[in-house]
Amino acid sequence: MYTLSGVTKTYTKHGGTVAAVQDASLSIADGEWVAIQGRTGSGKTTLLQLLGAMLRPDRGVLSFRDRDLAKLPETELTQVRAAEIGFVFQAFNLIPTLSAVENVAAALVPQRVPPAEMRTRAALALDSVGLADRAHHLPAELSGGQQQRVGIARALVKQPNVLLADEPTGNLDVDTRDEIMVLLETLWRECGLTLVVVTHDSAIAGRAQRVAAMKDGRLSIALSPEERS
Amino acid sequence: MSEHTFYLTYLWRELQHRRRQALLAAAGLAVGVGLVVTVTAATAGVSRAEAAVLHSLYGVGTDVSVTKAAPNPGTPNPDSAGTSGSSHKGIGYSPGKKPQPVDQLSPAAGLSWLPASAVTKAARVHNVAAAAGGLTLTDSQFTVPSVSQLGPGGKPPASAFPATFTVDGVELTHLGLGPYASARLVSGRGFTSSDASADVAVVDSGYATAHKLRVGSRVTIGFRHFAVIGIVGQPPASAADVYIPLARAQALMKSSPASQFTGMTRRDMVTNIYLAAASAAAVPAVQADLARLLPSATVSSSADLASQVSGSLNSAATLAADLGRWLAVGVLVSAFVVASLLTLAAVGRRQAELGTLKALGWPGKRVIAQLLGESLVTGIIGAVVGVALGFGGAAIVQAAAPRLSATVAQSPGATPPLNISMNSTGAHRSYPPGSFHTVAVQMTATVTATAVVLAVTLAMAGALIAGAIASWRASRLQPAAAMSTTE
Repeated sequence: MYTLSGVTKTYTKHGGTVAAVQDASLSIADGEWVAIQGRTGSGKTTLLQLLGAMLRPDRGVLSFRDRDLAKLPETELTQVRAAEIGFVFQAFNLIPTLSAVENVAAALVPQRVPPAEMRTRAALALDSVGLADRAHHLPAELSGGQQQRVGIARALVKQPNVLLADEPTGNLDVDTRDEIMVLLETLWRECGLTLVVVTHDSAIAGRAQRVAAMKDGRLSIALSPEERS
Repeated sequence: MSEHTFYLTYLWRELQHRRRQALLAAAGLAVGVGLVVTVTAATAGVSRAEAAVLHSLYGVGTDVSVTKAAPNPGTPNPDSAGTSGSSHKGIGYSPGKKPQPVDQLSPAAGLSWLPASAVTKAARVHNVAAAAGGLTLTDSQFTVPSVSQLGPGGKPPASAFPATFTVDGVELTHLGLGPYASARLVSGRGFTSSDASADVAVVDSGYATAHKLRVGSRVTIGFRHFAVIGIVGQPPASAADVYIPLARAQALMKSSPASQFTGMTRRDMVTNIYLAAASAAAVPAVQADLARLLPSATVSSSADLASQVSGSLNSAATLAADLGRWLAVGVLVSAFVVASLLTLAAVGRRQAELGTLKALGWPGKRVIAQLLGESLVTGIIGAVVGVALGFGGAAIVQAAAPRLSATVAQSPGATPPLNISMNSTGAHRSYPPGSFHTVAVQMTATVTATAVVLAVTLAMAGALIAGAIASWRASRLQPAAAMSTTE
């Protein structure tokens, strides 16, 4: 799915240059679940944004399904995000003025899905996260866990190849955290997704097939569960 | 749910969510638009009032008029002795054994004469579509009392004081030029070309009422009786009391005792030449050519004549053109700025939301369309409310505006005669009554379709400017912004 080789991303901050990701190399296979673990400011979110075609690397090769995301034009990057990558955000990032089902349908707008299909797919996606009865509720009328379920439904409705989650349980209590992680695991298994989860929580990282650790922008060796044990 | 339904749903919900800001932006635009509509209506009303005043004096179809000012009293006249109509040097009336009726014609106050051949010359000027001569005369009628009629101390009776009225000679081949063109027939009939040598008159309705004249009555001019064939209503500033055919006016003038002092005994003369230009664009060139052709005459365009109008109408025109226009522009620009700032602030607050849409794969132009749509709806609300405010403002202006006065010279280009009096404090100059007309004009403020279109265009432009600024900011937003800022 992904092949990263010598990927570097720098920012200009206070007149100086900060390397958020330095010389990162990593391969992620189709259907793999990888956790990227690190402290706040370690560069893990930047790495996720690079994987999600939201940012271009300054150097290196970032291959996604045999296409170098560093070299794709902006319109194609937009299409990649629209069709192939699903995002789950820490703060849910639901549009406050739209209902749950409308938020889910928003992910289908760029694909110009026919109206009837848009309605059906959005409803099914909500049903798959157990929120069919909350379809017409606004985000403010839902609990944190329910909002994140809507976020997951929105990420999955487009039937992506990969699901990228940025601290998906960061704003949730422990019980809800476990609920969401169980849901993500179930969907990963049932849909055959590639799942990349950024987290600082070792309990969540422990569920992944492999864990990549980020520290000061550097990606350390990714270990498989077998290697870790 | 189709893409378009989604677009409209999202747009409507966002506007509802930011109701206060949207209404504030729309209200700002509405006030600006309302002011523009009101000021435009008021300006148009003032212009119409000005035009009515000018047309009443110089005719509806007249683009350029030519006159020749009489020299001020006391100034030697290079053309002839004493051409001013109010100056009757040399004519003396002494009480005799019998009362002596006098009916004396003279050029209207402040006007000198032009040879009738000047009309033909003017008609040949390039881009002149039509030219007509006019002869504006003052008829003074009084009776020189007999010695026995004089009172104590030689005081004359009331009949010795002149009754004057204005007679306008109309060229019947060009009835669409000159003051007669503004007259509206009330009863009887108007002139026809067969009236050229007939003693017929068309009388102003106000004058007719005051002097109990009707169609079929007779009016005496220069001791000749003219049959009243028509009564006309005229705009308020109209100077003419009686219209007669030009040829008859010229014949009367030549036989008038005053003609001895105005050099009009042998030649036909006119006091005004009215011209229609081939096009509005040709007016300046026609004016310049005529000024060269008739160097001693005053050549005035409608714009020149408008600038000669004084009084509260002129003040209102200046107020509407200067203060009103700038006030409207100022408010509109402020509304644009407020709408832009509010929209920019909204985009700032929605950074995570817009970033999320981009992260979901929404193309930049789709995000921009969403923002522009919101701004356009704000603009439409502003335009609709603004037009309504404009109608209200125009109605208030019309209801509350006082009657305006317009003071205009009785004849364009005329030099008003000066009265010079002496007393212990020295010499004093004053213009005698009749040199200028002061008329009351009711100001109207009617909202025109043009003003409405202008207002809607301005509101849309303001909304689009605000939307464009917001879109520019949104277009620079990276999808990664979805993860950096939350609402």
